[in-house]
Amino acid sequence: MKVNDVPQDDVFDYSQGIKKGNYALDEQGKYVMVPSKGWDVDELINGLAYSEYLNKLEETRKEVLAGKKSPLAYYMELRQMIPQLLGKTAGIAAFRVKRHLRPEIFARLKPSLLEAYASALAITKEELKTVPQKPKER
Amino acid sequence: MTEEFVTEETLANGRKYIHGTAAHCETGVSSALFRDKGLDISEPMIFGIGSGIFFGHLPFIKWTGLPITTFRSIPGLVFKKAAKRLDAKIFRKRFRSPQKGMDELRRVIRTGQIVGVTTNVYWLSFFPRRYRFNFNGHNFIVLYENENGFRISDPALLEYTTDCSAFEMERARFAKGPLEPRGLMYYPLFIPSNPDIRKACITGMTDSCNQMLKIPIPLFGIKGMRYVARKVIQWPGKLGYIEACRQLAHILRMQEEMGTGGAGFRYMFAAFLQEAGELFGSKVLRELSDEMTAIGDIWREFAVVSSRIIKQRKSKREETFDKAGGLMLICAGREEELFKNLRDTVATLKS
Repeated sequence: MKVNDVPQDDVFDYSQGIKKGNYALDEQGKYVMVPSKGWDVDELINGLAYSEYLNKLEETRKEVLAGKKSPLAYYMELRQMIPQLLGKTAGIAAFRVKRHLRPEIFARLKPSLLEAYASALAITKEELKTVPQKPKER
Repeated sequence: MTEEFVTEETLANGRKYIHGTAAHCETGVSSALFRDKGLDISEPMIFGIGSGIFFGHLPFIKWTGLPITTFRSIPGLVFKKAAKRLDAKIFRKRFRSPQKGMDELRRVIRTGQIVGVTTNVYWLSFFPRRYRFNFNGHNFIVLYENENGFRISDPALLEYTTDCSAFEMERARFAKGPLEPRGLMYYPLFIPSNPDIRKACITGMTDSCNQMLKIPIPLFGIKGMRYVARKVIQWPGKLGYIEACRQLAHILRMQEEMGTGGAGFRYMFAAFLQEAGELFGSKVLRELSDEMTAIGDIWREFAVVSSRIIKQRKSKREETFDKAGGLMLICAGREEELFKNLRDTVATLKS
């Protein structure tokens, strides 16, 4: 790749103005590091993963509002966790975390367990009881 | 952002630290740590000496639900290997207790020693929001404590230094999941003022060749590349078009998106070969550097072709998975040739 070939695409939503270093050959054929504004390919593949994350989050939010899942499920998705990971972070066995994703079981949880979940998810105990009324912004 | 961008910092003991930029987090951090100890060494040099170049497919470790395809060695290894080969003494420790890990970090930076830490990207708010995925392998340097928490230098992401709160630092260092950092912190204790760089390069190159050619498991090195290439070709038939695109995009993220200096570290390795070629005055090494650049260009083409496949996933055709997989097979063939040549060349070099 030559210095002039280093992509400088305008993808501000993705990069937010942060440049990425690329190694490329200058006119003398010597390698130099060239800051790149962004690349459409990076933007595209990141966009796929990012929208997948947001879609799943939104789906879970609706399920919680419909009473199919507990708010814990929403915040677990928000923190990009799975029951095993959340369990490990909160110090609760994964099979129990899975049970707590059911709204009727979640409603009966002891304050100490709620406390453990809230600090693992970096939210307050009050927040953990409900989900936002509006979807997370893109 | 209105604040002025700072690149020069004064450490706790009054020493100066100059922030530089890099293409990759671990090599950038290592190079900055060594420079801070008075050894001026470039990022590609660290990458080559630490044998960072690799290829591996890990179907049993899932990241965001998909198998990991990596273009580099295990996070943390490059620093360790590079330090050893440069005869440096290093401090490197993980912690069971977050409290102890944070105390130790504070204690060390108070002495004016800068520290490399491994973190989880999700918890770092100085990252752009679309970068923030649950990935345990980002490295940056902690400079000193301030009223916001810590002053840090992230060579791979930012062109200036920034702040990171103590809360974020602790969450990021002690995040759970695959490749748990467990608060890993590292810094060189002592670096010889005039290390034998030629010898270090030879060891690094030999090790790289072995990693690429000799691991007897078909998921690693050149064999791994061929394995993944064949899988790519089979995906649309096996998984359906949409899921195949998802998996392909996942490979591209590891190759291009996550700060590799372009083409999954291939350009960085070419830069290393070029520097080594000058160091040894070897024409063959310079030619190998050119060949690595050419291979990098094919990886780049693979990325472009794949992105076209993904873009047209609704309408389909034109570019095919056969073509993408084929490009990968070409890369595998040419890299095999290159590393065999490199192995033969290294045998003739004198330190």
